[in-house]
Amino acid sequence: MVASADFWLTQFLNGLQLSMLLFLLSIGLTIIFGLMHFVNLAHGALYMVGAYAGVSVAASLGNYWAALLAAPLAVMLVGIVLYALVIRRMRRSGPMNQVLVTFGLIFVIVDLVRIVWGDIALGMEQPAILSGPAEMFGVVYPAYRLFIIGVGFVVMVALSLVLSRTQIGAMVRAGVENDAMASCLGINVERLFFVVFCVGCALAGLAGAIAAPAFSATPSMATDILIPTLIVVVIGGLGSLRGAIAGSLIVGFIQTFGAVVLPGLASVLVYVLLATILIFRPVGLLPARS
Amino acid sequence: MFHQTRLKSFAVTAVIAGLSLYAIFGGFFPREIVVEIALLAILAISLDFVAGYGGMVSLCHGAIYGIGAYAYAGMTAIAGFDAVTGTIAALLATALFGLFVGAVTANISGIFFIMATLAFGQMAYVVIFEWKALGGDDGLSGVSRYDLSAIGLDLDDSLQFALFCLALVLVVYAVAAFALRSSFGRTLSGIHSNENRMRALGLSAWKHKAVAFSFSSVLAGVAGILAAQHTMFVSPELLVWTVSGEVLIVVILGGLGTLAGPIVGAALLVFLKHEVSAYTEHWHLIIGLFLIAAVMAGGRGVYGQAEHMLRGRIRRPADA
Repeated sequence: MVASADFWLTQFLNGLQLSMLLFLLSIGLTIIFGLMHFVNLAHGALYMVGAYAGVSVAASLGNYWAALLAAPLAVMLVGIVLYALVIRRMRRSGPMNQVLVTFGLIFVIVDLVRIVWGDIALGMEQPAILSGPAEMFGVVYPAYRLFIIGVGFVVMVALSLVLSRTQIGAMVRAGVENDAMASCLGINVERLFFVVFCVGCALAGLAGAIAAPAFSATPSMATDILIPTLIVVVIGGLGSLRGAIAGSLIVGFIQTFGAVVLPGLASVLVYVLLATILIFRPVGLLPARS
Repeated sequence: MFHQTRLKSFAVTAVIAGLSLYAIFGGFFPREIVVEIALLAILAISLDFVAGYGGMVSLCHGAIYGIGAYAYAGMTAIAGFDAVTGTIAALLATALFGLFVGAVTANISGIFFIMATLAFGQMAYVVIFEWKALGGDDGLSGVSRYDLSAIGLDLDDSLQFALFCLALVLVVYAVAAFALRSSFGRTLSGIHSNENRMRALGLSAWKHKAVAFSFSSVLAGVAGILAAQHTMFVSPELLVWTVSGEVLIVVILGGLGTLAGPIVGAALLVFLKHEVSAYTEHWHLIIGLFLIAAVMAGGRGVYGQAEHMLRGRIRRPADA
């Protein structure tokens, strides 16, 4: 394949943008997973709810930034309802039951969204300031996609600082490392879990809202994003921020460059990687728990 | 541990008899429903064999089902072999795929096992999807049904084909029950309840699990062969991971680790799907609520709950 440097830089930015979306989703999932061993397959459905909430708010208020703020809050509310009705009661059951209940939740949430918003893909206006193309190193690239990369990067830095520098970050890390010991030291692990769960939901909602203008909101986005996100979590290692970063970059770039270099076998590459890691390093690349 | 109780015999006989009557007295559409139930039931029995009795919750049984269907279709419709060779090839293909997946995933447990089987299933899906000689994403048509005119059967008749599928459900159930009652099945249950103990007794657990997975895959292959003959067409849709998810739902609704439950679950799910979709297109909502309720109510499933109440003995299906 003969292609210029521009082409590869564009692909690099595409990969980075996909990675950032995957990161926003997988970080919530991995910490919930690592902190409480809770498997929440409905996380992808929350991403979809975020996209639809963003579309509706943007359409009714005519303001993109309001939507960007409202969607995470709306999804957090949905998350709190789910927590109160289902998740809290499933905390002590095995991973198998959690997988099944949250799998059922996907069906329910997707159909509720189809009832409320219908089956068609809904578009969302990009904010005027970001709607044009941007030029970077001589490459023309949509400004909005650069914005997605930027948001992902800001969240990444913010979460790293919170986890490494603040007291609540230390408590989360302690809970992931050894939840029984953390409880003995007086940390209310259940409440911590609830807080982390809410933040995870809000980030899923944020990811949905920033993805909607670029890809539009569809009911199938709930399951389409779920498998790549789970792969990121498993590849990176449960409960670890660094793992989620590494995993999203690996999956994002393999999917993007695979589609260019090996069109037929792009999707199989990610699964080959997943299977290889599970067989030779079942804990993932950078697990939180040593 | 598996016991062919009277309740199991009764439940299996009642469901199969009921479905036979439904097929005999119903028209074309009820017969299609019966075939759909029979295929799902065979697939669910094969999954219950490894998931319920071996603790291996596989998310690639849909892919194995598709491999069986494609192997049969490819051998008969493209390579021009006869039905017997096609059947043997399909069963062999599923056995080898199952042995491979079982062997490399045998030491992985819990959610990681689910993810690993998902990965292998998706790989099979992508390979079939891209395999131009097998029709790629267009699928492959021209599969013919078994020619059983020697014993006076005509499978191109919808009623006879439906009854033939139901008969195979019984055969697959009997084979799985026989395997579970053999020392092989007892050993599998032993590994499920305490793998370290079985290792300490000198058993090579991963080999045993790999063989069990392979055996289960052959049963799933039977469903695949029937699926190819049913629509006389195969497409990559058979291998999508949501098929595996649906089979898992069937097993849970019926009762994990009961072997009879999957048959009940298959009938329940398919009827529910058709009844609900007659009123609303949002049947997934109902299935989802049903699934959540079934798991939160104790996770025994419909048949498992009945068995639990009638026997009055506490025996929870083991967490996988």
